[in-house]
Amino acid sequence: MKKLLALALGLVLVLNVAAYADVVIAFSQIGQESDWRTANTDDLKSAIENHPGWKLVYDDAQQKQENQIKALRNFITQNVDYILFTGVVSTGWDEVLKEVNEAEIPLLLIDRMPDCADKIEYVAAFGGDFVEEGRRQVAWAGEYLKSIGRGDEDVNVVIMEGTTGASAQTGRTEGNLKALESYPHLKKVGQQSGNFTRAEGQAVMESWLKSIDKIDVLIAQNDDMALGAIDAIKAAGKVPGKDIIIVGCDSVKAAFDAIVAGEMNCTVECTPLYSRFVVPTIEKLEKGEKFSKTVVHPEEGVFDTNGGIDLGTVKSIKAADVISQRQY
Amino acid sequence: MKKTLDLSGLMQSKVTWAVIAELLILLVCFAIRPDFFSISYQPSTGMLYGSLIDIVNRSAEITIISMGMTLVIALGGTDLSVGALVAVAGAIALKFLRWDVLQYTTPGDYTVCSYFLVLAVPLLVCALMGLFNGFLVAKGGIQPIIATLILMVCGRGLAQILTDGKQFTTGYTPFRAIGQGSFLFLPMPIIITIVVVAAVAIFTRKTAFGAFVESVGVNPSASRLSGIKAATVILIVFALTGLLSGISGLIYSSRIMSNDSNNAGLNFEMDAILAVVIGGTNMAGGKFSLAGTVVGSLIIRTIVTFVYYFGIVAEATMAFKALIIAVVIILQSEPVREYFAKRARMRAARLNGGAAA
Repeated sequence: MKKLLALALGLVLVLNVAAYADVVIAFSQIGQESDWRTANTDDLKSAIENHPGWKLVYDDAQQKQENQIKALRNFITQNVDYILFTGVVSTGWDEVLKEVNEAEIPLLLIDRMPDCADKIEYVAAFGGDFVEEGRRQVAWAGEYLKSIGRGDEDVNVVIMEGTTGASAQTGRTEGNLKALESYPHLKKVGQQSGNFTRAEGQAVMESWLKSIDKIDVLIAQNDDMALGAIDAIKAAGKVPGKDIIIVGCDSVKAAFDAIVAGEMNCTVECTPLYSRFVVPTIEKLEKGEKFSKTVVHPEEGVFDTNGGIDLGTVKSIKAADVISQRQY
Repeated sequence: MKKTLDLSGLMQSKVTWAVIAELLILLVCFAIRPDFFSISYQPSTGMLYGSLIDIVNRSAEITIISMGMTLVIALGGTDLSVGALVAVAGAIALKFLRWDVLQYTTPGDYTVCSYFLVLAVPLLVCALMGLFNGFLVAKGGIQPIIATLILMVCGRGLAQILTDGKQFTTGYTPFRAIGQGSFLFLPMPIIITIVVVAAVAIFTRKTAFGAFVESVGVNPSASRLSGIKAATVILIVFALTGLLSGISGLIYSSRIMSNDSNNAGLNFEMDAILAVVIGGTNMAGGKFSLAGTVVGSLIIRTIVTFVYYFGIVAEATMAFKALIIAVVIILQSEPVREYFAKRARMRAARLNGGAAA
């Protein structure tokens, strides 16, 4: 009887898979890490699960590379139709991604580029343009100062970097420094790593406020560090957002709250919502269109107190108008 | 005669060298920028304001943890789980403060559970987790470094699960007071640190407990034969370290008014061990010095503040820290201390000889 039951169950499973076997999309995600990552996961998961005829196989690697390699090999064995992949680290993927190539499963890179990207085949890579984000941060500060009539004034800028060596840090720093060249009135008076965390952002700002006589603008390479810095600025008896102009990056909801409360001035978006680019790409691939190593940068906004600052590629949007739509 | 002998003893003490190292670093700061030492009164917060205050304030988390770590190391062990417990304490506190949020909502000045639970539960859980470590070591006979590795690895995961992988933010004023409040013109973390250090010092030095710890650290079997319950001593020390990690976690999360399961307490175990070692407690167990540990923790934070204050480039920060710590450790090494002690003795002898002639 037990054997019969097992057989029946097995059959049901097989039939089940057969019934859903239209398009199987596997997603190897690095695991929980931040609000940004959660929003990224939820967005892609729900978009694929709710798409008619698509089935999602999701793997949460809990921040471990060995789990991800195992998951990718499982995907190959299951012979899934597409693999979405975000690597927890940038190195050590050569072998397993080549196996994916050999199995001829189309690979879509999400958010992070592995170092071996040149040596492997992938259909498309979706990720933020960190250099552009860095440029926008400084450009916003420069254009905003012009708009309030301080365009000719010499202004002291401090740059709070992310974790040294992270792709978001190197890209945004490059963008920050390049953009400073086009705004000669913005003088860089400090540059230090705040490790992308609130606690270190707070400690770094606390020291800067004592070692640098006059700080006018803080460029923080993520919102968490900016939020930490706000507390340090208050503790020094200064008014964040007024005495010191604060530009963050990522556009998490907490930053919108701070902008609406007048304690922060601007946040440059680094969107985690990739489904609106990933889903059409897979649809096109299904129709037989060919892609090779297409890099897709999602459209991203800039959000500030009043809106309307023109940054060339994009115009800033008033944060208070869109805060209710923020999901993360 | 007696005075010079004292000097050679002093030169041989590791604590002396830790203090000298700290003074040297501060002297360099003073040489570069005398205003590094300026302290003023900040009316908007009602606190004293200056880099020296920052150093003591921001060293609070490590100082508090390393009080427990000193005792663990005196027992001949290490506790690797303290950093993870910092994350656990923050996660539980924020969970109780913001039980209502599934989706992110704007943080307000309120708490969902009673404030007593917000503080008591994280501390209790951390103490129990410390007790678990102690149990594995004392009753299971597992090496402390392995026993505490378990919670080091899964503690952060637990913190993630508790908060559903999210970062909760709160605006509850009484909670802010722990990390950002003030008492007697000083930031609250400094006050908490003073209370904790005093409590641990009294507990170990005014009772026989400190002697028990040193005795068990030197030779557990001999201590057992002389009537000391080694297992009980180990359990108490690990539970205490867990509790202190919890206090540290509350301070950390109160500073940022949120939990940060990935970064809260990251590498704190290393900093705490370093503080203890710089402070002159031997990793092999036995004699310990709480005062030395406090100085060790201050040295670590002085280096970090130095880096921020003088704008050492981010890429060089790690190398810079390592360099200073290497110098401190070498200054404390047996041959160097012996050399200076010998010189002090020789000078004393020469002075005595001169007096005789």
